[in-house]
Amino acid sequence: MHAIETAFRLVFDFQVLGVILASAMFGMFVGAMPGLTATMATALLVPVTFFMAPVPALGAIVTATAMAIFAGDIPAAMLRMPGTPASAAYADESYEMTKKGQLDLCMGTNLVFSVLGGIFGVVVLILLAPVLAEVAINFSSFEYFWLACLGLTCAVFIGTGDPVKGLLSLFVGLAIGCIGIDPAAGQARFTFGNVDLLSGINFIPTLIGMFAVSELLRGAVTLDKGLTMVQQHVGNLLSGIGGVWRKYWKNFFRGSILGTVIGALPGAGADIAAWVSYAVSKKLSKEPEKFGTGHIEGIVDSTSANNAALGGAWIPALVFGIPGDSITAIVIGVLYMKGMNPGPSVFLQTPELIYAVFIIFILANIVMFPLGWAAIKSAKQILRVPRNILLPVILIFCMVGSFAMTNSLYGVVLMVVMGVFGWLLEEHGIPVAPLILGLVLGEMLEQNFMTSMIKADGSFLVFFERPIAGVLGVCTLVIWGFMLWRILPFGRRAQVIPEGEVAPP
Amino acid sequence: MRFNDTVVGVAFIALAAAMIAMTFSFPAFPGQDYGPSLFPRILGAGIIFCSLVLILRDRRAAVAAPWLVMADWVREPRKVASFALMLAAMLFYLFASEPLGFIPCAFLIQIVLFLWFGVRPVTALVVAVGMTALVHWFFSSMMLVPLPRGILDSVL
Repeated sequence: MHAIETAFRLVFDFQVLGVILASAMFGMFVGAMPGLTATMATALLVPVTFFMAPVPALGAIVTATAMAIFAGDIPAAMLRMPGTPASAAYADESYEMTKKGQLDLCMGTNLVFSVLGGIFGVVVLILLAPVLAEVAINFSSFEYFWLACLGLTCAVFIGTGDPVKGLLSLFVGLAIGCIGIDPAAGQARFTFGNVDLLSGINFIPTLIGMFAVSELLRGAVTLDKGLTMVQQHVGNLLSGIGGVWRKYWKNFFRGSILGTVIGALPGAGADIAAWVSYAVSKKLSKEPEKFGTGHIEGIVDSTSANNAALGGAWIPALVFGIPGDSITAIVIGVLYMKGMNPGPSVFLQTPELIYAVFIIFILANIVMFPLGWAAIKSAKQILRVPRNILLPVILIFCMVGSFAMTNSLYGVVLMVVMGVFGWLLEEHGIPVAPLILGLVLGEMLEQNFMTSMIKADGSFLVFFERPIAGVLGVCTLVIWGFMLWRILPFGRRAQVIPEGEVAPP
Repeated sequence: MRFNDTVVGVAFIALAAAMIAMTFSFPAFPGQDYGPSLFPRILGAGIIFCSLVLILRDRRAAVAAPWLVMADWVREPRKVASFALMLAAMLFYLFASEPLGFIPCAFLIQIVLFLWFGVRPVTALVVAVGMTALVHWFFSSMMLVPLPRGILDSVL
C-alpha cells in the first residue's frame, strides 16, 4: 500500500503532469501526420526523456505512444492515409465510411473504442504483470536464455512478411550488438581500435537513424504527393455510439483480448494486432459481405485491438525485460539507461515505479478522450501543416537528439550510418524492427547463453533440466523446426503473408 | 533502389565471413571452452544460412529478378536531388558543426532545405530562425547538452 501511495505522489506532481500533457499533444500530432509513426514519436522523445527522472520519462513515452496509435485513425478516415501503420488495417474501411457521410460515427467509434481498448490492455497488464513477476523471480539463466530466444523468434515469425528476411535482420541486429566489450569475458570485439566503438553501438542514435532518418529519406522523394480530404466538417462524435456498443460489445471484448495477447507476444505490436483482429472480425461476422464497404464492425474490433496491444506489450517488457514490440524495445533501452534493469526484481525493489507506470497508463487513456476530441475537431488544421516544413525540422531534432546521447559527433555519425543502412534494408524488403530487438536483447541473450554454457559445461541437455526451462526450450525448438520447414524453399515457393505490411512498425 | 536477393545474400555472406574471420584473433582463456568468439560465430553462421536461403530461393524463382531495380523517383532528377540534399544536409552537419557551431549549421540546413522543398522565403526564414532558437534553447540551456558553439563562441 505504501508503494501505491508513493506512486501516486510521484505521478501527481505538477511537473510530471505537465510532461504527460505535453507528450500527449506531441503524440497526437505525430500520430495524425501521415508518414510519422508512433515508433518515430518515441524515438524522437527518447533524447528528451534521457534527461528526466524515470517517472516523467516513462510517462512521456507511454502517453505519446497511446495518443499516436489513436491519432493514426484520423487521417485514415479523412485522407485514406493511415497516420501510423497500426491504423493501416482499417484505413480503407474508415475511408469508405467517410465517403458514405459517416465520418462522425467513424471518428466517434475510433475515439471511444481506442480509449476503452487501451484501458482494457492496462487492466490486464496490472492484473497479470505482478503474478508473472512472482513466477519469474525464480528464473535462472537457462529460463532467460530460452525466453529471449522465444521472444526473438516470435519477432521474426509474426512480425514480418518474409520470415527469412526477418531472421536475417535479427541476426544482423544481434551481430551489431556484439560490437564493443563482450559481456562475459570483457574482451573488446570488432572495435578496430576505435574508442567510441568500445562503448558499443549506442542504441538511441541507431534507433533514430533506422526509424526517423530512413523515413526522412523516403519522405524527401514523396513530398509532392497531394492529399485530398473528402469531408472536413465534423459534427457530434458521440451520436450513435451507444447503438454501436449495444450491437458490437462482443467485438470490443474480442478485439481487446486479441490485441492484448498479440501485444504481449514479443515482436508483434499494435499494427499486427489490428490486422489480425480485423481479419478475425470478418471471418466470424454474420455479415462479412459488408466488410470493405464502410462497415463499422471491423473497425470496432481493430481500433480496440491496436490500443489494447500497447498495454499488452508492456507485460513481457516489465516482467522479463523482453520487449513486446518496437516501442517497448525502446522503453527497455530507456530503463537500462536509467539504471532500472527490467525484470521481476523491479517489482520487489522499486514497486512504486511499476505502480507509477500503471497509473500513467490509465491517466493517458483518460486524457486521450478530451485530447482526441480536440484533435478530431482540429484535424483540418493539423493535417494542413505542410510536410515540406516538417521534414527539415525533424532532421534537426534527429541530429541534436543523437548528439545529445553521446555528447559528441559519434552519435550523429552512428545515426547517419544506421539511417542509410536502415533505408537500404527496407528498400530490399528487410524489416528493421527485428534488428532493433536484436540490438536491445543481444547483450542479455549472450550473457545468459554464456553463463548457461559455462554452468552446463557444454552439455546442451542441462538447458532442459529445470522444468520451466525444459518447457520453454521444447517450445522454442518446436517453433524453430516449424520455421525451418517454412523457410526452406524445397519443393514449394515460399509464400509471403498476404497482409504484406511493408511499412516499419 | 533494389538489388535482387542474390546480390543481397552475397553481400551479407561477405560481411558474415569477415566477422567470423575476425573472431579468430580473439584470445582464448585457458580451461574455458566458451570464449568471446563463440556467440559472434553462431550469429555469423545464422547470417550465412539466411543469405543462402535467399540466394537459393532467388535462383529457383520461375521469373528471374533483375539484378537491380531502380525506384520510379530515380527518373526524376528533382527527386534525386531532394534525396541527395537530405543526405548532404546530414554530412554537412557532421563536418561543419564543430568549426561553425550548431546555430549557423542548423539555420543553414533548414533554410536550404525549406527553399528547395518550395516553402515560401518569408515562412522559411521565420521557421528556420524560430526552430534554431527553440532547439538551441531547449537542448543547450534546459538539457545542458554541450552543442558546439563554433564561430559564435564569443557571443554565447
